[in-house]
Amino acid sequence: MKSRKIGIAVAIIDVNELKPGMILAKSVYNQQGLLLLEKDTALTKKRIWILKTWGIKRVRVKGKPKEDGKTAVEIERESRETIEKELKAKFEDVIDNPVMKEIMKAAQRQLLKNINDQDAENKAS
Amino acid sequence: MTKMPKTKPHNLSRIIDRVEDLPTLPRTVLRITELVNDPKSSARDLARVITDDQVLAARLLRLVNSSFYGFPQRISTITGAIVLLGFDAIRNLLLTTSVFDLFATRNKTSMFRQEQFWDHSLGCAVGAKVIGNHLRYDKVEELFVSGLLHDIGKIVEMIFMRDAFKEINNLVKDENILMISAEEKILGYSHPEVGRLLAEKWNLPPKLIHVILHHHRPSEAGRFSLESAIVHLADILCRSLNIGYGGDNKIPPLDKMAWESLRIKPQAIESILAEITKEFDDISLFISYSP
Repeated sequence: MKSRKIGIAVAIIDVNELKPGMILAKSVYNQQGLLLLEKDTALTKKRIWILKTWGIKRVRVKGKPKEDGKTAVEIERESRETIEKELKAKFEDVIDNPVMKEIMKAAQRQLLKNINDQDAENKAS
Repeated sequence: MTKMPKTKPHNLSRIIDRVEDLPTLPRTVLRITELVNDPKSSARDLARVITDDQVLAARLLRLVNSSFYGFPQRISTITGAIVLLGFDAIRNLLLTTSVFDLFATRNKTSMFRQEQFWDHSLGCAVGAKVIGNHLRYDKVEELFVSGLLHDIGKIVEMIFMRDAFKEINNLVKDENILMISAEEKILGYSHPEVGRLLAEKWNLPPKLIHVILHHHRPSEAGRFSLESAIVHLADILCRSLNIGYGGDNKIPPLDKMAWESLRIKPQAIESILAEITKEFDDISLFISYSP
C-alpha cells in the first residue's frame, strides 16, 4: 500500500502535553541514536511514559498548529479522523462479516473514549 | 558478510535441526514446570526451588503484590504466594516473566519492533484473560500465558531466519497483507508451526502447544478449540484496539465456527473492549519492556 500524503501539518509538542492517540510525525531516537518509537506510531499512555523516561523533551506529531502554538484540540480531531481511517483500512478485507463490523464499531468507540478519558485526566491534574 | 540468495528456502525440518539452538527457558522455570506436573510435589518443594533463584523470588513477590492481583494484604513470603495463587498460577507467572526476559535480551537494535511486538503479546494475554472471565472459564491464568506466547514463532523467525524474516516484512509492507500470508508465500509454512516447535522443545503443556498452533484456525484445535478460539478472538480485539503491533496492519479473518462456539453476544463486545483497555493499561505499567 502506498502511503498517501494528504497534507497533514506537523506540530512540535512538549512531552507533557502528549495524549494517547496522537500520531508521531517523525521517528524518535534517544541520545545514543537508538530508535525508541517509529514515525506514524499512535501514542499510548505507555509510549508517552517511555518518551518521558528516556528524557525526551519534545516530539513532532501530526496536526495543524494554531497561532499560539497550543495545538492539542486540533491534533485530537485529527487523531479521531486517523482512528477511523486506520480502522477502516485494517478491517478492509474482513468487513463483510457482520461480527467484524460490530467489533470495528465498538473499537472505534473505545479508542475515542481513550482520548476523552485522557482529556478529563489532564483537566483534573 | 556472505550474501544470501534472495529466496532461500527454509524448510521446517531445517529449523527442527536447529532446535537445539532455540532459546531455552531458565533452569528454575523448567524445574518448576516439572514440579507443577508432579502430583506428589508440595508447596514447600516449590517454594524451595523458587527461593534458590533470588531474582525470580523477588520478582514473584513484586508481581503478587501488584495491583494486577489486588490482594488486600501484603504477601511477604514465597510460600504465602504459592498458597494464595496455586501452583499453576505461579508457574504461569514465572513462565511469563522469563519469556519476557528472553525477548528483552535479544536484538537490541530493533527496540521499537520488539517493544511493539511485546505489547501485542501482552495485549492478547490480557484479552484472553478478559474473554475468559466473561465466559467464566476457570483457569484464566492459562489463557493469559497462551495469549502471551501465541506468536512466539515470529520471534524464532526473527532470530533464526533473519533474511527470510526481512523478506516477509517487506512483503507485508508492499502488499499490505497479514504476516501469516506473507510467511506462507515465502516459507511455505508460518509462525504457528514454528511456534509449536519451540513450545514442544520447552515441554509446554499440550493446551499451550495447541493454542500456539491453532490460533489462526481455532476450530481445528480439537479438544483445545475453546482455548484456541479465545486467543484467536483476543488477537483480533487487541489489533482492533491498536494495542501493540503484531507484524502487519490487517485484522485476521474471524473463524466463524470458533466465534459461534464462544456464544458471546455482539452487545458484549463493547464492555470486553473496555475491560481489555483498562487491564492492559494497568499491567503494562508494571510489566514493562526493559531494553
